[in-house]
Amino acid sequence: MRPDVIPASDWHFPRPEIRHLGNGLEVWIFDLPRQYVAAIDLVLPTPLSVEPRGLEGLATVALGAIDEGTRENPGGRITELLELQGAALQGAAGHSWTRLSLDAPVHRLPSALGLFAEVLSTPDYASDDIERHIEWQVAAFETRLASPSAMGRQALRIALFGEHQREGRPAAGTPETLQAITPTQVKAWHARYYSPTGATMVLAGDLGSIDVDLLCGRMERWRGAAAGHGPEAAAHLPRHLLVDMPTAVQASVNLAALTPGREDPDWAALKLGGHAMAGAFASRLNLELRERLGYTYGISGGFAARPRGGQFGLAGSFGVDVTADALRRVLDAVWLADGFTEAEIEDVRRYLIGIGPLANETAGDVARQACTLAAAGLGSGFVNEHMAALRRPAADDATAAFHRVVDPSQLGIAVTGPADVLESALREIGLEFEVI
Amino acid sequence: MIAEPLSITTTTLGNGLQVCVSEDPNAPAVSVNLWIEVGSRDETPGRTGFAHLFEHLMFEGSRHVEPGEHMALVEAHGGSVNATTSSDRTNYFNTVPPGALDLVLWMEADRLTSLDISPENFDAQRRVVKEEKRQRYDNQPYGDVLELLVAQHFPPGHPYAHLPIGSMADLDAAGIADVQAFFDHWYHPGNIRLVICGNVTARDALALVDKHFGSLTWRPAAARREPDVAPVSGKRSTVVRDVPHPIGYLSWLAPPAGDEAWPAIELALAILADGHPSRLHRELVREGGLAREVHGTALPHLHDASVACLLARPSDGTSTHALLEHVHRVIAALARTGPTDDELARAVAQHERDWLMELSSMESRADAIQDAWLTFGRPESVNERLGMVDAVTADDISRAAGLLSPESASELHYLPEGY
Repeated sequence: MRPDVIPASDWHFPRPEIRHLGNGLEVWIFDLPRQYVAAIDLVLPTPLSVEPRGLEGLATVALGAIDEGTRENPGGRITELLELQGAALQGAAGHSWTRLSLDAPVHRLPSALGLFAEVLSTPDYASDDIERHIEWQVAAFETRLASPSAMGRQALRIALFGEHQREGRPAAGTPETLQAITPTQVKAWHARYYSPTGATMVLAGDLGSIDVDLLCGRMERWRGAAAGHGPEAAAHLPRHLLVDMPTAVQASVNLAALTPGREDPDWAALKLGGHAMAGAFASRLNLELRERLGYTYGISGGFAARPRGGQFGLAGSFGVDVTADALRRVLDAVWLADGFTEAEIEDVRRYLIGIGPLANETAGDVARQACTLAAAGLGSGFVNEHMAALRRPAADDATAAFHRVVDPSQLGIAVTGPADVLESALREIGLEFEVI
Repeated sequence: MIAEPLSITTTTLGNGLQVCVSEDPNAPAVSVNLWIEVGSRDETPGRTGFAHLFEHLMFEGSRHVEPGEHMALVEAHGGSVNATTSSDRTNYFNTVPPGALDLVLWMEADRLTSLDISPENFDAQRRVVKEEKRQRYDNQPYGDVLELLVAQHFPPGHPYAHLPIGSMADLDAAGIADVQAFFDHWYHPGNIRLVICGNVTARDALALVDKHFGSLTWRPAAARREPDVAPVSGKRSTVVRDVPHPIGYLSWLAPPAGDEAWPAIELALAILADGHPSRLHRELVREGGLAREVHGTALPHLHDASVACLLARPSDGTSTHALLEHVHRVIAALARTGPTDDELARAVAQHERDWLMELSSMESRADAIQDAWLTFGRPESVNERLGMVDAVTADDISRAAGLLSPESASELHYLPEGY
C-alpha cells in the first residue's frame, strides 16, 4: 500500500558572516561543507535606467568585455589566467541591477579571487574588444528577432511598460544604440558604476580550509566612488500586442501585470495562489491546457519579486489553431471565479516550503538567492521569514489577495505568431490587439 | 584534496534489476534515478519519437497512481521530478526529502508493474509532444541543425539517423496498441539501472528497493537492433533558411562514448573552441578577424560512432567555405605540434570545475553515476573521471586533433536567404 511520508525537519537558509571591507564592499560569507565549487556573486546596484538615452546596451557591453584584458594582463591574457584556475565568469546586466559571478574549485579560490579583483579594478577595454562585443550583441538581437519566444518576451516588455520607459526597451539595446557605443563611453561607465561602495559580494562554498581574511584582502584593491540610482519603472496603461511572424508554427503567449512585492503583507498568499494557478506541474492551467487538452508543452507563471514591488506573469506556447481558445481559458483562470481550494493551496504550501533545501543545495544556489536579496536591500533572513509566512494563509486568503492585486482587464498581453490567422481568432474571444 | 570520492554500493536483484546506492549523509535530499536502456536508436522505422512519447506516457497513471499524480505528489512533498530521452537511454528522476523516498520507490515500481494508459491520455500526450517539438525545434531559428548534422553521418535506417523527438508523421502514426508492446520489450528489470543517491544509508535504501521492486518479474533481454548500414563521413551540404546569420559546421565521426580516446577528444575540442583563450577564437576571431564566433560540441553515442562538431560564424566578407578552410588549418597545427603546457592545464582545470559542479547536487550526481555506469559498465568509474582527464597527455591531444582531419570532415553550410 501507499507508503506514508515522514515529514522533513525544519530547514533554514544558512546565515552568512557579514564583513564590511575598507573599500566599502559588503561581503556575505557562507561556509557550506562539501561544496567544492565556490560561487562568488557580485551585485552592482546600478539600474539600466541610468544608461544614456540612445546608448542602451552600454551596461551589457561594459560587463561582457570586462574580462577581455586588464592593464596588467592585456590582450586576453587575464582570461587565460582565470581559466588556468578553473574559474568561469558570467553575468548579466539586468534592468534593476548587474550581477557578475565567478565559479571556481574551492582549492583554487585564493588565486582566482585575486584575478577577479583585477578584472573589476583595471579592465583595459581595448577598442577591438569593444567592437567585437557590440557585434555579438547586435547578432544576438537579430537572432531574437527570428525567435517567436524571444520576440514574445520583448513584446511583453513593451505591452507592460511602454517604450518610453527603460524597462520597455531591450536590456541589451538595439543595433542602432549598440553601434553608437564607443570605448570611451564604456570606460566612463565602468569608472562611474563599478564601485565597491554600495555593492555586495556573496561568497559561498566549502571554506573549511580557506583563509577568509586572505580572500577578503584580495578584494581590497578594488576602489571606486558610490554607484548611482535611477528611476523605478512605473505602471502604464497596458497594451495588447500581436507580433506578426507569418512563418511561426506556434504562437507564444505572454501576459503580465505589475503588483506589490515582498513588502506586501499578502506576499506569501500571492506566491501560494500564483503557484497553484501556473507554477506547479499540477497547477490549474497546466492540468487544463497540457494534461487535458494537449494544447501546449507546458505553461508557467506566478508572482515574481522585483527589487521593489512584484510582477504577475504567465507564459506558454500553443498550436496556432488553438491559441485563441487557450488564451480565453487562461483569462478565465485569471478572473478566478472559482477561488483556490484548500487542497490546492495545501499542496503548493508543502511544495514551496519543502523545496527550500533542494533549491539551496549548491554553493551557486545559495549565492544566487543571497545576491537577489542583497539587490533588493534585504538581509538573508528574509528567506526564513518568508518560509514562516507561507504557513499561514488559508485558501480564501490566497484568493482574496489574488483578486486584490490582479485585475484581469488590465493585463499587458503579447502574442507572437501569424497575425493573419490570430488577429481575427483573438477578436472572436473579445480581445483587440495592435499588430506590430 | 579536491573532493571526496563518492561511496558506491551495488547489487542485482534476482529479477535482474541493477541497483547502486551512493550515500551522502549530509545531503538535504535523496535522488531516485532510473535509466532504462532504451532510446531513439531502438525505435522501429515508422515509429521515430516513440521512446520519448512513451516517456510522457509513464506519467499517465498506473494501478494505484492517477494520471499526473506522480509529478503532483513529488512536488507536494517538496521534491522535483522529470524525465528525458536520448538516443541511448530513457531517464526518470525524482529528488525528494529523505522521508519521501519510500513513496517515490513505490510509485516507480507501481508504473513498472501496472502502467495503465487511457486512449484520451494517449492522444493528449501525443499532442503535448508535438507542441514540444514545435517549441524546441520547429519554431526556433537554426532549430533543425542537429537533425541535419546527424543525418549527414547516419544514412536513413541507421539507428542514430534520427533525433529522439522523431517526426510529426511518425507521431501521428503511433497508436495505443504500440504502448504495451514497447513496454514489454524494453521496460523489464534486466534493462533498468536504478541509482539512489543522497541522504540514506545503503542498507535502508536496498531494503526499500527489495520491498518495492523485488516482485517485478524477470524477463529475457530483448534483441537490440544492430545497424545494417555504416555511418559515413565526408559529406558536404548547404541549406538556406529564414535565419539571420550564416554558420559553417564541420563534423566528424568519433569513437563510441566508452572509448579510451574520449577524454582527449573532449579536451582537444575545448582547446580548439571553448572560451576566448581557445585557439580558434584567438586565431580566427580575435586576431584573424575572419570569424565572429566559434564553438565546439560532442554528441556521444554508446554503440557505433559518436559525432564531434565545430562551428564558426564568419565575419562580413568571409564565406563559410573560406572560413572552414581556416578552421582546418588551425586544427592541423594542433595535431602537428600538440597543445602548449598552458593550454592543456587550462582545459584540465576547466573540466575539473564542470565535473565538481556536476557532483554538487544530488540530481546531477545521480545522473553522473548513471552515465559512468552505462558507458563503462561499472558505477565506480564515476570516481575515476578526474584521473582519466588528468592523465591525458599532449600526445593524446595531438592524436585526437588528428582524428578531426579535412579528409574525414563533413561540412554543413547553413545560410540565410539571399546570402
